[in-house]
Amino acid sequence: MSRKLLAAAVTALTFAGAALATPAIAEVRVFACEPEWAALAEAVGGGDVAVYSATHGRQDAHHVRARPSLIAKVRLADILFCSGAELESGWLPVLMQRGARHAIQPGQPGHIMAADHVAVLDRPDTIDRSLGDIHPTGNPHVHLDPRNIEILASELAGRLEKIDPDNAPAYRSRLTSFLADWADVMEEWHKRISSLQDMKVVVHHEAWAYFLEWAGLTRVASLEALPGIPPSASHLQEVLEQSRSAGAEAILRAPYEPRDASDWLSARTAIPVVELPFTVGGHPQADSLVSLFDVTLTLLEEVRNRP
Amino acid sequence: MYTVARDVLLAVIAITALLSLAASPAAAQSATEPTAAELAEQIRALEREYEARIKALETQLSDLESKARDSQAEVASPEPTLRPASDNAFNPAIGVVLNGMLSKYSTDESEIPGFPVGHESERPAEGLALGHSEISMSSNIDDKFAGSLTLGLGVHPGEPTELELEEAYIQTLPGAGLPEGMRIKAGRALWTLGYLNEQHRHGDDFTDRPLPYRVFLDSAYNDDGAELSFVLPTDLYSEIGGGFFRGDDTPFGGSPNGFEAWSAYARLGGDFARNSAWRIGAYVLSGEAHERGGGHAHGDEHGHDEVMHHEDEDHEDEHHEDEHEHEDEHGHGHSEFFSEGLFSGDSRLYAIDFRYTWAPTGNARERELILQGEYFWRTEKGTYALAAEGDEEVGESEYFDTTSDGWYAQAIYKFLPRWRIGTRYSRLHPSSEMELDHDPSAFAAMIDWTNSEFSRLRLQYTRESLAEDEHDDQIILQYIMSLGAHPAHTF
Repeated sequence: MSRKLLAAAVTALTFAGAALATPAIAEVRVFACEPEWAALAEAVGGGDVAVYSATHGRQDAHHVRARPSLIAKVRLADILFCSGAELESGWLPVLMQRGARHAIQPGQPGHIMAADHVAVLDRPDTIDRSLGDIHPTGNPHVHLDPRNIEILASELAGRLEKIDPDNAPAYRSRLTSFLADWADVMEEWHKRISSLQDMKVVVHHEAWAYFLEWAGLTRVASLEALPGIPPSASHLQEVLEQSRSAGAEAILRAPYEPRDASDWLSARTAIPVVELPFTVGGHPQADSLVSLFDVTLTLLEEVRNRP
Repeated sequence: MYTVARDVLLAVIAITALLSLAASPAAAQSATEPTAAELAEQIRALEREYEARIKALETQLSDLESKARDSQAEVASPEPTLRPASDNAFNPAIGVVLNGMLSKYSTDESEIPGFPVGHESERPAEGLALGHSEISMSSNIDDKFAGSLTLGLGVHPGEPTELELEEAYIQTLPGAGLPEGMRIKAGRALWTLGYLNEQHRHGDDFTDRPLPYRVFLDSAYNDDGAELSFVLPTDLYSEIGGGFFRGDDTPFGGSPNGFEAWSAYARLGGDFARNSAWRIGAYVLSGEAHERGGGHAHGDEHGHDEVMHHEDEDHEDEHHEDEHEHEDEHGHGHSEFFSEGLFSGDSRLYAIDFRYTWAPTGNARERELILQGEYFWRTEKGTYALAAEGDEEVGESEYFDTTSDGWYAQAIYKFLPRWRIGTRYSRLHPSSEMELDHDPSAFAAMIDWTNSEFSRLRLQYTRESLAEDEHDDQIILQYIMSLGAHPAHTF
């Protein structure tokens, strides 16, 4: 009997807990899959939005658990703001389906996939699982080209105006000042990247494609022979030779990427490993979109200007 | 919409690739391996193009917006000239799970006294054998519905291959017009009950299901029915739901009117810190069984040896030559009713579950600890009928009011990106009516290697103690691989 009571009590408690704490709805709720989009939403939305980031700066957005907390957040979201291009395909569909929130489904104003709005790189010619964990629609890491940030800022502002027309003037003015500031820092960065032209780098995963393209860096090898599959010893040996013969200057690594392969290569070639922030929060000083690019460029300049 | 769009793109890209391969293999070869110089030239060309574009972008916001629209169009139709395959572009996502085992057991005995189980819950055949293979197809049907079909192929040596329709359901999409957070699933599905029930076998952390699943649900409850679930609009994850079912699958059976069972559940979940998450749930599944058997024929000669010695005033007549077997005036012990009889009556199953995951670095792919447990408690009131023997017209039957429970707890630790170790302990407490002096228990330890999301090899040691003075030491080597579409995993 006591067990029956226990089961009944647990059930009752669960229901009671569920019924409690219904949140007050005031701001536009933005569910960002990655910290860079959360930062952008905060910049454009200001005090009119409540932003939640599904991942933090040291997390790999490819592999996230469809945690219960994320379902709850999606359930309440007015805007879903993600990279798209299959980056989140391992977990986002579950959240969208379970959260059953109409406003953030594809085709709705509350559904923003960054890769849908910019020119996507690395679209594969062939698709086969033996080629690793490839993204059939192209490289999803679009945020590391600052020109894409501009495009997405405008896109987001347009969506916010649609969803929350009362605050449309505020979104418009915030966008204008964001774009003006962004144009200023872009000008500065343009000067800085001229000193980084043709810098040869080894990457861990093709996460840097957009950044390399914008900054004019040249990728000479990738530690992952196939995307998403840890490098094998024979492939590392190849990378070692390629890096030496091409004269690679740095090995780029995101904070969430495993260290062993890049450390191994660095130890044998004396090419320094540079752990770049990759996203907002990926480095103690990279706490905003502007500082994300500032820190990234500073770290690369340090390597380039080594005696 | 989302998956259809992806499928369309996938198909278009795959066809493009195929055509280009067929037309000129050499061209495809060189396209995949540009030289560093070519790359650099491409990058410079792209850069020049972007320099021009960015100037235009900086001049006016309106320019920028139109540019965004342009590039959107560009992404939406990558190869507008190559769209002849629109018929199969809408093919459902098809996935296949392949599973094989190499098993060694220390004893022939694998019955659980008092709890007859079906094929699904038996240990796999010794030696080299196929495990449970699956074929699944799923797709969005339109803007309001999605559908899924899963076939399970069971291979039991000496018997024809068993084809089981594991799932065949439709469910509402968020665009179906139901209230926000609400979903309805109808058909046959792995219904919401505890943690493991909803999950396909290939997602399990061990080669076998824990004891309570095997005896109370014959591995999984996938009756025909309909279920409604509702995620409440709370910051803390909370979901309630319930369903009505036919009542044909274990723990029920033989549904006379096709409307014999119902369920209800509630779940809560959230994050502890930014790298750990939890979920708890409470569930009830209730209904009526009609001549539920164990799935076993009565021919297993080991089946009779498990009757435990007991003192029972009601049946004090003759003793048979086997002193472990105490039988009533018609020659039947209680345990025989439970092991061999067909049950008709009310069956109700309560369950609670918890799951906790912690990724020390934030990346579950690198290192992760998962703790999980479930507790089941079953009450049954009804008669157990034995098959007619000798010149009996009708077999003997007896009424029992039983309460049995069982639980398991497991810990899985991923210590390297591809390696995980895990242990699990499960235990059953049979009803005192079953007159068994032994609580069946099992301990399992496993290590598995996961090459990618799609392939896994596992070595498992299990020590089962299902009947008194019996131990079965099992060593199982297993592969589980999936090809084709692979649905996103739930928590």
